[in-house]
Amino acid sequence: MTEIRLEGLKKRFGSDMAADGIDLKVESGEYLCILGPTGAGKTTLMRMICGLTEPDEGRVFFGDLDITHLDTAERGATMLSQTYALFPNMRVKENVLFGSWIKGWPEEESQQLARNILSMMHMESRSKAYPDELSGGQQQRIALARALASGSRVLLLDEPLRALDARLRLELRKDLKGMVKAMGLTAIHVTHDQDEALEMADRIAVLRAGRIIQVGTPKEVFEDPKTPFVANFVGRSNMIQCRVVSSTDGKVLLESEGGLRMEAKDGGHSPGAEVLMAVKVGNTKISTTLPGYFEGRVEKILYEGATITVEVMVKGLGLVYSKLPNRKFDDFREGNTVSVSWSPNKAKVFDIPEGGIEYEIRVD
Amino acid sequence: MSLIDRVDDASSKRGVKRAWLILVVLIFLVLIILPSVYVLFEAVSQWDLISGVASDSGKMAVIWGAVGNSFSIAFIVTIIDVIVGIPMAWLMVRKNFPGKRYVDTLIDMPLAFPTAALGFSVAIFWGVPQGLDVPGLGIVLSPYVLVILLHLIFTYPYMVRTLSGILEQLDPNFETAGMTLGASRFTAVRTITLPLFRAGLVTGFILCFARSLSETGGTYIALSLIGKQSTFFTGPTFISELKHQAGSQAAMPELILISVLLIVFALLMLFVAKMMMDKVKIPWSKVWPKFERRISRGLAVKMRNGLSSLFLALFIIIPSFFIFSFLLIDGPLPDMAGLFKAMGISFLVAGAATAFDIVFGIPMALYIARNKDKSLGKALDMLVNVPLIIPTTALGLSLFLFWSSASLPGLVLVILGHISFTYPLVVRNVIGAVEEVDPSYEEIAKTLGAKPFQAFRKVLLPVIQSSVLAGSILAFTRSLGETGATIAIDPTINTVPIYIVNLINKFTEFNNPDYAYQAAVASITLTAVCFVLMLAVKYATRRKLGGLRHD
Repeated sequence: MTEIRLEGLKKRFGSDMAADGIDLKVESGEYLCILGPTGAGKTTLMRMICGLTEPDEGRVFFGDLDITHLDTAERGATMLSQTYALFPNMRVKENVLFGSWIKGWPEEESQQLARNILSMMHMESRSKAYPDELSGGQQQRIALARALASGSRVLLLDEPLRALDARLRLELRKDLKGMVKAMGLTAIHVTHDQDEALEMADRIAVLRAGRIIQVGTPKEVFEDPKTPFVANFVGRSNMIQCRVVSSTDGKVLLESEGGLRMEAKDGGHSPGAEVLMAVKVGNTKISTTLPGYFEGRVEKILYEGATITVEVMVKGLGLVYSKLPNRKFDDFREGNTVSVSWSPNKAKVFDIPEGGIEYEIRVD
Repeated sequence: MSLIDRVDDASSKRGVKRAWLILVVLIFLVLIILPSVYVLFEAVSQWDLISGVASDSGKMAVIWGAVGNSFSIAFIVTIIDVIVGIPMAWLMVRKNFPGKRYVDTLIDMPLAFPTAALGFSVAIFWGVPQGLDVPGLGIVLSPYVLVILLHLIFTYPYMVRTLSGILEQLDPNFETAGMTLGASRFTAVRTITLPLFRAGLVTGFILCFARSLSETGGTYIALSLIGKQSTFFTGPTFISELKHQAGSQAAMPELILISVLLIVFALLMLFVAKMMMDKVKIPWSKVWPKFERRISRGLAVKMRNGLSSLFLALFIIIPSFFIFSFLLIDGPLPDMAGLFKAMGISFLVAGAATAFDIVFGIPMALYIARNKDKSLGKALDMLVNVPLIIPTTALGLSLFLFWSSASLPGLVLVILGHISFTYPLVVRNVIGAVEEVDPSYEEIAKTLGAKPFQAFRKVLLPVIQSSVLAGSILAFTRSLGETGATIAIDPTINTVPIYIVNLINKFTEFNNPDYAYQAAVASITLTAVCFVLMLAVKYATRRKLGGLRHD
């Protein structure tokens, strides 16, 4: 079991800061997801942990050991890449045995280990196949088997489910985490898919532009975002720029530029302050009968399977979205006038972000 | 602990890695690049002697004539290659016809012939060999035209191969899209596909031009057979003729001067070609719909394909194989012991050079392929081409001067010379292969606990081995067939091409056809050996997919 600690990691590529002072601690045996948009520096962070990229500044610790300058082969941190990189010249079994082969482990033990791991994956029957004869899901499992059989204590998963089709991806989420946990490895899983991170992670670290913005359990990150970016990236939010009117009983009364009034959870802002309010689309309620903070006109209703999303055009605010269970599909028609509301403790108030609102909530 | 284990361990040490890289780069610079261009420095230090030659207008006329011949012949040959190469490459990549596989092999055939054999074959097919009674076409050709006909043969495969390589990578959907938008096939190809393969054209141009510029043995033999070897010169044959006549230091200033001219102009050519690849845009925008529609259809297409095939047969294949007609005539066999000894020397030189290329070329190729974005990687990538573009006679002379004070044995010098022009072949091939391999294979292997050398040996090498093999065999055959460099370094090192050239020299000297017959038999023997090696290349590259596996 290994605890991973990163201290002030920095890495610059030309004018891009791929890592801009990253501090992070991953508990031994923990399954941590790094969630961030494309280009946030997720892969660079992984490569610095396993030694394929050397940081410009900062240090990497496994347990108490400073391994910043240790060779990749010595670290015992195995990477599972999104392309799997199964060696095309080797059969399934040879791929799985690669780690023990180059470390010169006793033949018999290695064979036993390979058999065990392959049977755990239900892949014994394919042990003589070449990688190009396997389906995507099978390749993914063999890549995992190879990583598990290498004796590494740390597993780095770089978008491991990305290349699979949607259905298989969902199925493999549980299997993947289950096996990593069963082997007692410390795992860091990089993804840009918020659902994947929410479902799989013990804790999530949200990364943006080379900085870690928030670390917490899926529930904390989803329900209590630290910045408007997190609020919008992990579960989409309606964002409204407002001014604080007054605060009472842990609630604030807000007023938008167009004079619409609404409530949110108190963030300690004094009356008169300019703020950005965020409320998750799933917590935004609409109704044709009950009163709300303001009213709007239904523009479009999107059917998404288990849920529906209703787009409501509100005068002075623009589009506001509401995500509802699919049984509500027949309750609304395009052109209906509906009221919009939420429970105040589900709405968060943030300072106006320094880089501007548009930059802050961009997710690409 | 075995040696390999030690190397594995050492390979993960930062210092060792750096030291190894420095060693490989140093060897490249000191053993290959510097000797190749050393004559430029020598020219400066011996300026007094050279300016003596430069002010002698009689001598200068001959030198300028030779250099002019070399470059104008190379240029004409390359232009013809482009014109006939494009439709042929097209036919090979985009069309299917019965017997395509055999045509494919036929196109590569000239590469298997040592140029000495080709020179012989072409001269007796097209020309009127003096004092030799062989049934050829027997046209009285100017030496200029004969040399062009000869050089066409061994440059043609380079052009067709380069162009079809690029063509294979181009998605025919671009053309189909163009055609659904209303363009005729010819217009679509000309305006969409051709501009996309400009890079391939330039590469093919450089390869053919350099090869033609460099060729010595075949040209010298062809000229000798029509009795023009001492009146008509290309740059390389001028050098070998001077070496043959003087055999000493006597004509050194002339040799240095012409080598410098060849090297400088060749490098200038490379530079201009590279510039063209990046900068020049060809105006493709004008369209002649009616005319282009007409030549896209029916008879025009059939004629184009027919002419391409006819050119291949008449100008490339038949003249190459014509030398085998000697097998139908009886004559005195050459001194077989001498021939086999020459064969032994040729194999020793080629083997030693290729082994060196593999050991020091592969690490260089790995570095260049993985560091193309760094300035050192870029610079090395450019420099590796230098020995490829310099005519081998000039390179040989330069190398001879570079090592002259070290008093190394001639054989060692010849091996060093052959290393210089074969090294880029191996490096280029391996760079191409490594660039195709996803770097994550090696990286993942390292995260699984493999040390750098282990990751190379067990993961990368098995994947690129067929390219390494192909590159090595190319280097080996190229060395076997090389005449110019060996003559310029030490003509007493009796490789098979030198052996053949010596027989031809005796033939012209004594006007005894027996010597020509013996030269033909020696050429046929060397050709047969090269054929076997070429088949091995075909086998190695065809098994590319199967070669990935070790069962």
